[in-house]
Amino acid sequence: MINLKGIEKTFDGNKVLKGINLEIKSGEVVALIGPSGTGKTTLLRTINFLEKADKGSITIDELTIDNEQVSEKDMILMRRQTAMVFQNYNLFRNKTILENVMEGLIVVQKKSKEEAEKIARQEIERVGLLDKVEQYPIELSGGQQQRIGIARAMALHPKVMLLDEPTSSLDPERSLEVLKVLQKVAKTGMTMVIATHEMDFAKYVSNHVVFMENGHIVEEGSPEKIFTDPSQERTKQFVQELENPFT
Amino acid sequence: MDLEFIMNIFPTLLKTLPLTIYIVVVTAILGFLLAVIVTAIRLKKIPVISQLMDLYTSFMRSTPGLIHIFVVYYGLPVLFRAIGIDINFISRVTFSITALVLYNGAFVSEILRPSYLAVPSQQHEAATSVGMTNWQKHIRVIFPQVLPIALPSLGNALIDLLKDTSLLFLIGLVDIMGQADIIIANTLGVYQLEVYVTIALIYWGCSILLEQVIRFLEKKTGKYLR
Repeated sequence: MINLKGIEKTFDGNKVLKGINLEIKSGEVVALIGPSGTGKTTLLRTINFLEKADKGSITIDELTIDNEQVSEKDMILMRRQTAMVFQNYNLFRNKTILENVMEGLIVVQKKSKEEAEKIARQEIERVGLLDKVEQYPIELSGGQQQRIGIARAMALHPKVMLLDEPTSSLDPERSLEVLKVLQKVAKTGMTMVIATHEMDFAKYVSNHVVFMENGHIVEEGSPEKIFTDPSQERTKQFVQELENPFT
Repeated sequence: MDLEFIMNIFPTLLKTLPLTIYIVVVTAILGFLLAVIVTAIRLKKIPVISQLMDLYTSFMRSTPGLIHIFVVYYGLPVLFRAIGIDINFISRVTFSITALVLYNGAFVSEILRPSYLAVPSQQHEAATSVGMTNWQKHIRVIFPQVLPIALPSLGNALIDLLKDTSLLFLIGLVDIMGQADIIIANTLGVYQLEVYVTIALIYWGCSILLEQVIRFLEKKTGKYLR
C-alpha cells in the first residue's frame, strides 16, 4: 500500500504540486491523467525521490518518510522499493540489454550473477525480446527499448512501478506494442502508477483513475465513473473533449 | 644530408628514449589522477577550493610549459629553503615530472570536466532510480560513458605531453632532445639539420604509437556507440 499525504513541491517559486493526498492499494493500476504541465510527472518523481517533495509524507507499506526531514539514506531506501520507467527509456547506454536488466539486481540487490541472469532472462522473455540480449540499447527501436525499460523495472520486484508517460515518445504502432506489454504486467498483480495520455489504457487496463490539474487532484475513482459519470465539471469537460475532439 | 651520420647517431639517441617514455608514462598517470581530483572538486563546487582550482587550471593553461619547468626547477628549492628544508637531493627527473604533472593535469582536467557534463542527466536518473548509491552510479554507469567521450582529447593531451618533454633539456636533462643538443655541440653544429630531422622522426614514431594505443582504447570503451 502506498499513501501520499499533503505532497507539495515548488520549482523556482512555481508551485507544481499543491498538497496531493492519494492512497494506492496493493495490486492497483493507477492511471494519472490530466493536461500537460499539471504535475503528473513531478508526482511520480517525488514517489521515487528523484525529486524531493518540500512537504508531506510518503508511505510505502510499513515505511513512512516525512519529506521535511529525509536523509539521503532514507531516499535510497525508498527508491529501492520502487522502480521507474521513463518517457525516454533511459536505458544504460554502455550496457547490453541483458546487463541493463541485471544491473540493479547485482549492484543494488547483491544477487549472484547466475541468479540475476536467470531473473533478467525471465523478464526479457516476458517483454518478448530474448533474441536481443547481447545488443546495446542504441541498436533497438524505441518501442523495444521501452519494453526493456519495463523489464528492468520488473526485475527489481518493486512494491510499486512508476511509469512516466511510457508511450509518448512512440508512434501509435510502437505505442501499442508497449501498452500490450503493460497490460500483461498489470495482470501479474504488480502495483503500478502510470502518468499517461493514452485514454484507452486508462479506461481498459487501469482500475483507479486520478484526474489531475494545476497541481491538484480534481477527481479520482474507477475508470467507469471517471469516463462515464464524473462528478466534477472540469473532469467532464476534459473527458468529453478527448472523446469528441472536433465537435 | 649525411645519411651515414644519421645511421650513426640513431642508436645513441634511441638510448635516451626510455627516459622520455618513463617521464611521459609517469606524468600521464599522475597528471590524470590530479585532473580527476581537480575535476571532482570543480564539479562538486566545494566553496573556496573550487575557486582555487579554477584559478589553477586557468593559470596553467594560459602560460607556457617552459615557464612551469623553470619555476619548479629553480623556484621550488628556494621556496623550500625558506621554510628550512633542503631539497637539492631531488633529481632533475623528479622536478621534470612535477612540473609536467602540474601542467598536464590542468589540461586534462579541462578535458574531463566537459566530458563528464556531456553524459546526459537521464543516465544519472536511471541509475539513481534503480536504487544505486552515488558511488555505484558513477563507477557502473557514468564513468564508463565519460571515457569514450574524453579519449580523443586525452590522446591529444598525451601527444602534447610527449612533445613538451623536449623542453626538459633546458634544465639539463639528457633525454632525446638533451642528447641531440650534446651531439650538435660535439660536432660544432655542422650536423644540426641531420640531428633535428632524426629526433623529429623519433618523436613522430612515438606519437604514432601513442595514437594507436588511444585508438584501441576508443574502440574498446566505445563499442556501445556503434
